[in-house]
Formats: sequence, C-alpha cells, structure tokens
Amino acid sequence: MENIVFGIGITALTGALATVAGAAEDTESNIGSQGDPNSQVQLAPQMGFLHRIFNKAVAGEPPAYGLWCCLGAGLAWAFMAMQINAVLAIVLGCVLAVFVQGVYATTAYLGRQASLKKFGQPIYVDILKSMTTVTMAHAFVAIFCTVTLCFLINAALGHPFPLPLLGLVWGIALGAAGSATGNPYYGKERQYQNQKFGAGVPISASGNIVRYAEAGERNSLDNGFFTAKLGGPASGVCFGLIVFLELWRTVIFEKIDFPGLGPGWYAIFVGILMILVFTIADRYIETWARKTYGPYAEPKEASS
Amino acid sequence: MTVKVEVVEGGVPHTKIMAAGIIVSLVCLYLSYLNTMTGTEMFSFFGGLAVVAALIWGSHTIKVLCSYGIGTGVPSAGMIAFGSGVIAMLLATKFGLAAPIVAFVLAIVVGLILGYLSNEVLNMKIPAMVQSLTELAVVGAFTLMGFAVLISGSFTFTGLTTGSITILGASLPSYQVSFIGGSLIAVAFMLGGIAIQHPFNACLGPGWTQDRMLMLTAECGFLSMIVAAVMSFALITTGSALISLIVAIIGWIYTYKQYFALSKRDAADWLDAKPIPDLEGH
Amino acid sequence: MSAVAAKPAAGGAMNPTAMGVGIVMLLILLGICWYVAPGLGLMALIGIIIGGVLIGFGTHFVPVGGAPAAMGQAPGIATGVAMLAAGAGLAGLFGGAWAAEQGTVIAVVTGGVGGGLMMAITCMMVNFVYVFGMGIPAASGKVKADPITGDTQAEYKSQGTEGHGLPFVSFVGGVVGGILGGAGGTLIYLMLLDLYKVTLPTMMSATEAQIMPIAVSAAGMFAVGMFLVNAVLTAYNITGTIEGPHDPKFKRWPRSVVASAVASALCGIVAILIVVI
Repeated sequence: MENIVFGIGITALTGALATVAGAAEDTESNIGSQGDPNSQVQLAPQMGFLHRIFNKAVAGEPPAYGLWCCLGAGLAWAFMAMQINAVLAIVLGCVLAVFVQGVYATTAYLGRQASLKKFGQPIYVDILKSMTTVTMAHAFVAIFCTVTLCFLINAALGHPFPLPLLGLVWGIALGAAGSATGNPYYGKERQYQNQKFGAGVPISASGNIVRYAEAGERNSLDNGFFTAKLGGPASGVCFGLIVFLELWRTVIFEKIDFPGLGPGWYAIFVGILMILVFTIADRYIETWARKTYGPYAEPKEASS
Repeated sequence: MTVKVEVVEGGVPHTKIMAAGIIVSLVCLYLSYLNTMTGTEMFSFFGGLAVVAALIWGSHTIKVLCSYGIGTGVPSAGMIAFGSGVIAMLLATKFGLAAPIVAFVLAIVVGLILGYLSNEVLNMKIPAMVQSLTELAVVGAFTLMGFAVLISGSFTFTGLTTGSITILGASLPSYQVSFIGGSLIAVAFMLGGIAIQHPFNACLGPGWTQDRMLMLTAECGFLSMIVAAVMSFALITTGSALISLIVAIIGWIYTYKQYFALSKRDAADWLDAKPIPDLEGH
Repeated sequence: MSAVAAKPAAGGAMNPTAMGVGIVMLLILLGICWYVAPGLGLMALIGIIIGGVLIGFGTHFVPVGGAPAAMGQAPGIATGVAMLAAGAGLAGLFGGAWAAEQGTVIAVVTGGVGGGLMMAITCMMVNFVYVFGMGIPAASGKVKADPITGDTQAEYKSQGTEGHGLPFVSFVGGVVGGILGGAGGTLIYLMLLDLYKVTLPTMMSATEAQIMPIAVSAAGMFAVGMFLVNAVLTAYNITGTIEGPHDPKFKRWPRSVVASAVASALCGIVAILIVVI
C-alpha cells in the first residue's frame, strides 16, 4: 500500500513536470517559428513580405525535442556514471543540451536567411542575439522537466528502459504533442492576425504574415508573448495528461487482479475507458462548435 | 513528383564527395584501431573525425534526394538513414577487425532493399531514391560506429557492451555502464539523425550554396562530437576523453566561425537592429 | 469515396510486379531465418513482421495535415506524419515495455492502449484549440459527410481552404492509428527481448540478470529504429499528409503493408543474426 501511495506521489509530480515541459516547449518553438508555421515565415520574403521573425528550422519539433531530451538524458546518465549526484548530473546534462540547442538555433537562422538573398531578406544580428537566448531559456525548462520526469520514471517507478532511451521516447512524444496542439494557434491565430477570425487562412493569403506590432515591427518575442496565453498552456495540458494518465493507470491498476483474467487487464480496461471519455469530450466539442458557430454563410461569395 | 526541382549547380560533384566520405570515414575508423594495438584509448577521437566525414557526405546525399519533392519533410530522411544504419552497424560489430567493412557492405544491402521498396513497391519513381537510401544507410552505419568508437574506444560488440564501474576504488566489470547497456546508442542515433538533415534543412532556398552547407555539416559534426566526448568521460580514461574534447572544441570553433563568415558572404544584408528594408513595389 | 474527393495522383497506382518481387523477398528472408535460426529465431521474425505491418498500416489512420494544417488550410494535425506516429507508438512502447513481464498478450494490448490514449488526448486537444482558441469548427475537405456521424462537411469549410480541424472520423482514425502503432512497436520489442534474454547469456557467458540492461537497451533501440523506418516508408506512401481512413490516399495501404513487411523482415533478420552468428 505504501508503495502505491509513493507511486501516486511520483505520478503526480511527473504529470506536473510534463505540463510545465509542454508549455515551455510550445512557447520555445513558437518564438523560434519551429515546426509547421515555419513554412510561412520562410514563404513570406518570397512573396515580397520581408520580416523580422526568428526563423530557426532545426528540424520538426518531434525529432528536435527527441534529440534535446535524449541528449540531456544521455549526458545526465554519463555524469551519474561518473559518480556525480543525480540532481547536479541532470542540471549539467540539460545545460549542455541547451548549449547544443542554442548553436543549432543560430545556424538554422543564418542558413535560412542567407539562402533568401534573392528576395532581399537580410540577416538581423540583433534577432540572433536576443531571440536565441530566450529560446534557450524556454528549452532549458522543457528539457530539464522532461529529463527529470524520465529519471523519476526510471529510478522511482522502476521502468526497465535506461535513461537515454526514455529521454528519446518522451522527447519525441513531447514534440509531437506540443506541435500538434500548439502549431495551429501560432500558425493561424498569430501569424495571420490580419485574416478573418473564426475561419481558416485562405490559401491565396499564404505568405502575407503580420509583420508589424502595436508599435514598431513585430519580432518573435511578441509571438511567444501571445501564444504563451493559450497555445502554450494547451500543449502543456496535452503532454501533462498523456504522461500522467499513462503512468497513473499503470501504477494503480497494474497489480490488481481483474476477475477471471488476472493482473494487467485492469490497467488496460481503465485505459480503454479513458479513451472513450476523451472520444466523448471530442465529440461534444465538435458538435458544440457546429451548433454555436453555425455554418459559414454564403461560402462562395465572401471575399477577403 | 517526378519533376526535379533544382539541379546541383556548380561546386564539387556528388561522386567526389561520396568517394571522399567513404575513404575518410573508413580510414578514420581503422586508425582508431590504434587503441587496441597500443593498448590505450587515446585514439578514440578518430571516431569523431569519421563521424564528421560521414556526415558531410550524408548531408550532400540528402540534398540530392530532397531536391526531388519527396512529399515529407527533410528530417524523415535522416530518421530512415539511422533506422536502417543502426541495425547494420550493430551486426557488423560482431565481426571484430572487419567491422567497418562489414558495416559498409551490410548497409548497402539494407539500403538497396529499402530503396527498391520505396521506389517500386511504394511507387515513388524518384530517380535518385535507390542510390540515396543506400548511401544514407551507409552514412548512418558509419556515423553510429564513429560515435561508438568516440564514446567507448572500440567498435567490437564486446567493447560496446562491457564497461567497468568503480566502487570505492575497486574497478568491477559492468554491462550496464556501456555504450549499448546504457543506451548511449540512442543518443548517438539522435545526434546523427539531426546533424545529417539539419544542414540541408537550414540552408535550403534559392540561395543555397554548397560550401556553406558542407561547412555547416562539419560544424554540426564537431558540435555532436563535443557532447559525445563529454559522455565518453564515463567510459574511457579521462586523458583520452580530454583529447577528444579538445579536438572537437577546436574543430567546432573553427567551423562555426567559418560558417558565420560564409553566411555573411551569402546574405542579402547583415544588419544589427535595423528596420525592415523597403522593397520596391510593396 | 464521394465526388468531392480529388482524383488520386499518379502516385496512387499499384505496381503488381514490384509487389510480387516484394513478397518473394519476404519469403526468401523468412527462408534464411528458418535456415540459420529455426524455432525461436523464426518465431521472433514472424512477430517482428506482424509488428512492422501493424505500424505501417496504423500510420495510414493518423490524420496529419502537415504545414497547411497549421494555418487552418487543411484538416488534420499540424505536424509530420512519421514523427506523430512515432510519438504515439513510442508512448505505447513505453507502456508495453513496462508490462513486459506480465506476458506478451497483456504487454501488446497495454502498448496499443497507451498509443491510443496518447492520440486520443492529442486529437481532443487539437480540436479544443481549433474550437475554443480560434473559433473554427472541424470540417473535412475530402468527403461530403462524415462516414461515422453523417455530419455534412462542405458548409463548415471556410472559404479558400480545404477544411480544418479534426472531424470525428479523423479522431477515430487517430486513435486507431495510435493503437496499431503502439501494439506493433511493443510486439517488435517483446520479440527481440525474449530472443535476447535466451541467447545473450550463453553468448556473453554471463547470467540473465547481468545481460538484462543490454537486452532491454538493444531491443528498445531496434524497436525505435524499425518503428521509424516503417513510419517513414508509410509517410512516403501517402506523400506526407492524410486525413484519416476516409481519405482516398488510404486506399494505397496494400503497398505499404508489403513494403513494411519486407522492411521489417530485413531489419528483423539482421537483429536476429546478431545473437545467432
């Protein structure tokens, strides 16, 4: 029983860490215009819209975070193998992983902007200096939380995978959850603030991203400021729920016998039940939107 | 799908880069065998140099492959390269001294079959597909083997699975503290997987230049080598790991500076805290 | 499929000769395995092939819109198909590996449920952000009505786009894809783990407890590697984006199943040879 209480405590802690990690991950990638909205930042100068947005296309978010978290975990593992205290090892590992992330961010920005010479897009050194540091700070929060939760899963809950492999698995999952949830909010709602609210961006408007702020010219810090209010927390809730529910159903129900089937099945049925709950929630959201917002009036006539 | 978007214009031809990549990686991997011959771990850094050479070749292959629209992002090419490379490399480590050659041959077989599957069974009909996936599998296998040498000082299966742990001054053999047992291979997998696709992903666009992209690849390789060298402190002697770290840092600083210079050369403008320039007609 | 659906591109055609060659290759690989490692090795390879096919087939269900989805220009989840499938599948593998000691069936089902749960949460949050964050209802561009709920789609599609968000059929597709991917990844892992647990102690002359870290780590790494190979091959098959099971591109799945089976057999036999040579 004591074991289970301990497990629940660790589960709650990992869920909280995952929520913070998800929120930080999404904000970081939005400040860097990483992931799919990047295509528009890349496209804008080609359509004649020069901008001052940070454009760091390291890779898609899932592989990039797969690397950062796996690297942080691997370095932490190596430091622990050198008999360094676990907390210090994790912090040091994450610091080095963030260094790698920062270097990749700068080279990505330089490369993309230099290749846009034909359209007159310059390289802004001040963007490099001010944005890279901010993304590094957010990336540190995301990586540190993910590596710590992997460490807890491995050391306290007894998962068989070694730390670096857990870092790879949860890093990719973090990137997948964060990009899935956070990308539309940045891509549509922020980049195309000039387009109609409550509708997708017409394909004809592609590339015409908002480049001016309330005062002066918009930079990527403004974007992080905006998406940190909904896209970031939503990504955090998404990743937090994934980690928490996955651990929770295992920790509590794994050992309990299901009548007639034996142990293990309880956790499975609880998982299926949770899938059904989310299905119902999704259906409710979908029908609520259809009822409340209604169909688009005269879809053929409206023009932008 | 079958329209070639842009050709490789000017610069060093791909075959030359490929030949250089194969030879330099193989030579560096074999030079690391000096470790066994001299009984030290001082030559582990040759593994890191093999990584850099293989990555330079691989990133140019990705450039050739992704010039055709393959429908998915550039990163996926890096993932399939290492997914197929990792199995070829691990089987090859069983062959002792012949490991790098076996890895080369095995990766060619795996890559050819995967290329055939994509091109014919999946009907992608991309002319460069078979050759590119074959090359990428070899690059993946070489890169992973290079990281293995760099981190653990050896490319044999026993060397990769056996480490030692020091408890209260006594050294005990341990399978857990090893390249494979500790899953450092996962870190090598991701380090290579990002480093191979990043240069083309970062430099793509109408102003793509070959020397800038390849310089960036070298930079990514040395950057990966720095962190891999830090991890190697856990598995090889401090002095040897320090040599790898110093080589990596020197290489990284040089290539990073060069890359900045090349970007400055290629960029439309290099501005500090200036507004968006006015374009005619907008 | 309805009339709204675009005509599949030329890339949608099957190549019967190549499919035949693929099946012959599969049989040859199975034959090699039967020759060098009958019994346990062959069983493991068959499990790996089934797992690979599950991954390849499952990835077709995952609704991914790529870059246009991030602008609300196309339905689906705004990320890459291979990596989203990997995210779900690896989350499933995580759960499955944890339950490994409770038996193959429980572990595989646990892995599947883990992957499905990850996709269910993600898909719900995607719709949450579209509806409550951006005020956009879900609409598919490829079909007139949702095949499951019967909801009409065209009038909820905003002007100048191909649709947006995740209609219910895409949600279900995502969950099914996560389940298949998670189960497939776990199956590959378990097959290799069982094989390594038996063969590695004699090969390295050590006890089973001593080689456990190596068996777990190598099997886990191979499972991840094969997952990525299969997911990327499927991504090539659907050229990067798909709306879900109602998308015309979904009909291309036989090609992917053959390709995944051969690729998994190839990777699997190499992974098995490590311990039998």
